Amino acid sequence: MEHAQVQSEKSKIRVKNLDFYYGKFHALKGINLDIPEKRVTAFIGPSGCGKSTLLRTFNRMYELYPEQRAVGAIELDGENLLTSKQDVALIRAKVGMVFQKPTPFPMSIYDNIAFGVKLFEKLSASDMDDRVEWALRKAALWNEVKDKLGQSGAGLSGGQQQRLCIARGIAIKPEVLLLDEPCSALDPISTAKVEELITELKNDYTVVIVTHNMQQAARCSDYTAYMYLGDLVEFGATEQMFFKPTRKETEDYITGRFG
Amino acid sequence: MPEKHLSTQFDTELTSVSSRVMELGGLVESQIRHAIYSLANFSEEVANQVIEVENRVNQLEVEIDRDLSSIIGRRQPTARDLRLLMAMSKATANLERAGDETVRIARMVKSILASGASRQLPTSDLGVAADLASGLLRKALDAFARLDTAAAVSILREDDLIDREFDGFVRKLVTYMMEDPRTISASLDLLFLAKAIERIGDHAKNVAELIIYIVKGADVRHMPLGEIETTVK
Amino acid sequence: MSVMGIDSKQAMYQRRKRINSLALILSMSAMAFGLVWLVWILWETVRMGLSGLAVATFTQMTPPPNETGGLANAIYGSFLMVVLATFVGTPIGVMAGIYLAEYDAKGWLGTLTRFVNDILLSAPSIVVGLFVYAVVVTRFKSFSGWAGVMALALLVIPVVIRTTENMLQLVPAGLREAAYALGTPKWKVILSITMRSASAGVVTGVLLAVARISGETAPLLFTALSNQFWTSSLTEPMASLPVTIFKFAMSPYENWQQLAWAGVFLITVAVLGLNILARVITRKKH
Repeated sequence: MEHAQVQSEKSKIRVKNLDFYYGKFHALKGINLDIPEKRVTAFIGPSGCGKSTLLRTFNRMYELYPEQRAVGAIELDGENLLTSKQDVALIRAKVGMVFQKPTPFPMSIYDNIAFGVKLFEKLSASDMDDRVEWALRKAALWNEVKDKLGQSGAGLSGGQQQRLCIARGIAIKPEVLLLDEPCSALDPISTAKVEELITELKNDYTVVIVTHNMQQAARCSDYTAYMYLGDLVEFGATEQMFFKPTRKETEDYITGRFG
Repeated sequence: MPEKHLSTQFDTELTSVSSRVMELGGLVESQIRHAIYSLANFSEEVANQVIEVENRVNQLEVEIDRDLSSIIGRRQPTARDLRLLMAMSKATANLERAGDETVRIARMVKSILASGASRQLPTSDLGVAADLASGLLRKALDAFARLDTAAAVSILREDDLIDREFDGFVRKLVTYMMEDPRTISASLDLLFLAKAIERIGDHAKNVAELIIYIVKGADVRHMPLGEIETTVK
Repeated sequence: MSVMGIDSKQAMYQRRKRINSLALILSMSAMAFGLVWLVWILWETVRMGLSGLAVATFTQMTPPPNETGGLANAIYGSFLMVVLATFVGTPIGVMAGIYLAEYDAKGWLGTLTRFVNDILLSAPSIVVGLFVYAVVVTRFKSFSGWAGVMALALLVIPVVIRTTENMLQLVPAGLREAAYALGTPKWKVILSITMRSASAGVVTGVLLAVARISGETAPLLFTALSNQFWTSSLTEPMASLPVTIFKFAMSPYENWQQLAWAGVFLITVAVLGLNILARVITRKKH
């Protein structure tokens, strides 16, 4: 399909003719998409449509697995991520990711947050304290853990662990935050807290979220992309998509006429 | 409604509320027919029939709105489903008010009968307008059931006609009243009747606009007819 | 089910109950059978070993027949060789385990390594001892403590490789991905995240390897041999508890036999202690 673009918004990431293969399997077919800056964009679609695959190309996560490869261009502020000579670690510092299952590192809460920061910055002890506090506040977790920063991250509840992972991702001050079904493993109240967080995060970061929960996409995002079997079917403002989508396939999916 | 949802329960609920809306429409249609008959023939009996049905109409309105709230709350409908449910709520309101108008007509007929001034008034003109309005509502309900946007546009055009009829009738009445001031009170009664009929036509028009809302997602209330026609294409 | 009468349902239930009891009795008997022997061995060890134990056991060297003495040189020799073998074998084993789990899991080198390792794991320890004999002892024309260390290390390495690889594979992929997503370089992911997660398991593996080699006799027979006297030099033949026990237990001399029992007791206590320590460490992590 033609380049899906948003007229009035500045683009943070431009995907141009992206194809993706798992071995011989053609998982993403000629994706063209602009992710607007400082907005929340949601990818929705049935299982196997390629939304997580697409998300993971943005921080070259697929490189960990030799049989996966991406062809095309993904431009972050104009520079093609796929062919960039930059160390992939630096790219990942700019494009952070939070996964479906909360994965606290086997260390204290403080060290969890400080881990990423130490990779790229040399901060004094008090500066690091400030950064850790800032990240935890931003993730709406500070009040719950400020008295037990030395305790292991594994001792927190599921929702808290996920917010810890979000704080960890924010602490290195990325420009883009990728969230891969961040609330799937959480109960409704934790989900609501994380969604609240996402709405706030867009003030500072470009957020892309993959979700299989359509209502979550409807609640949280400014723009939504509907994908099906590796194709980008429709991309537009969320309000429009959920009130009157352009394509019938989109409407069928959204109204639960097929799943 | 066209295709099925994955949830057959949802489909059942939608079908159930849709048929209730159609039932409401049918009742209001019968009310209009009886009202017109009672007006043309000054029949108190038929006028009473109109008033009796009103209870059922009100009851249906309450039930439909309750069902709609329940579906919206539980199903989080989007896109077409959302528009359909919103439209059904508004259509119900319009039909109920149309029903109110027919009751007003019936009561007027009864009071005119009571006052005994029935025979001298130009009620035949009213009859024409009334038939137009009744036909319009029937067409609107029919188009709503089929979600026929072309029919909706033609209904919007026809409502113009009724408005013009109404204006003509008012002018006639005014002349009548100027000629013979003794007929003023009876004429005023007729004026109210005419207004009620004109409002029924308006409600039919609203229902037609809702059809376009459901199918095209465009809110065409307060839009001039030319623009509506281009929107529908 | 509504077709069946109440009676046949009862009959089925009774039958199941009977089979249940039978199975329970059989498995408990099997367990008891195993336990009986274990308890008996331990009891004999404690009974015979304790009576032969004295302060002298730790302070005096292995005596000639029919003279009083102790096991000091054997204890020291065992201790020294086991510790050195562990120090040599563990880093090699851990590194290889990391390679197998984190790099090149399916490549030719990895597959080959794993294959060879599996063979070494189940190789009889006497074969390892003979190998070191052929390569080192004949070369240098003397038995030595270093040869003993080498043989023991060759027994430690396969165990550590296998445990390390398994423990690392148990670390969920999501944890690694989360670290990579922050921009962590591969070596740091392995060191700070993966190894840290698996640390308890790896340490347990090492401890179990140590427990194993503490009691190995055959490899030491051809490498360190034994020494009646005290030596702290690894270039000379060195005494060790297992070999000493071997020599003393088969002799007709009573004092030697008593010392052998004492040695058995000491080894049993040491291995038991190591196993308990391994358990404690794994429990702490969870």
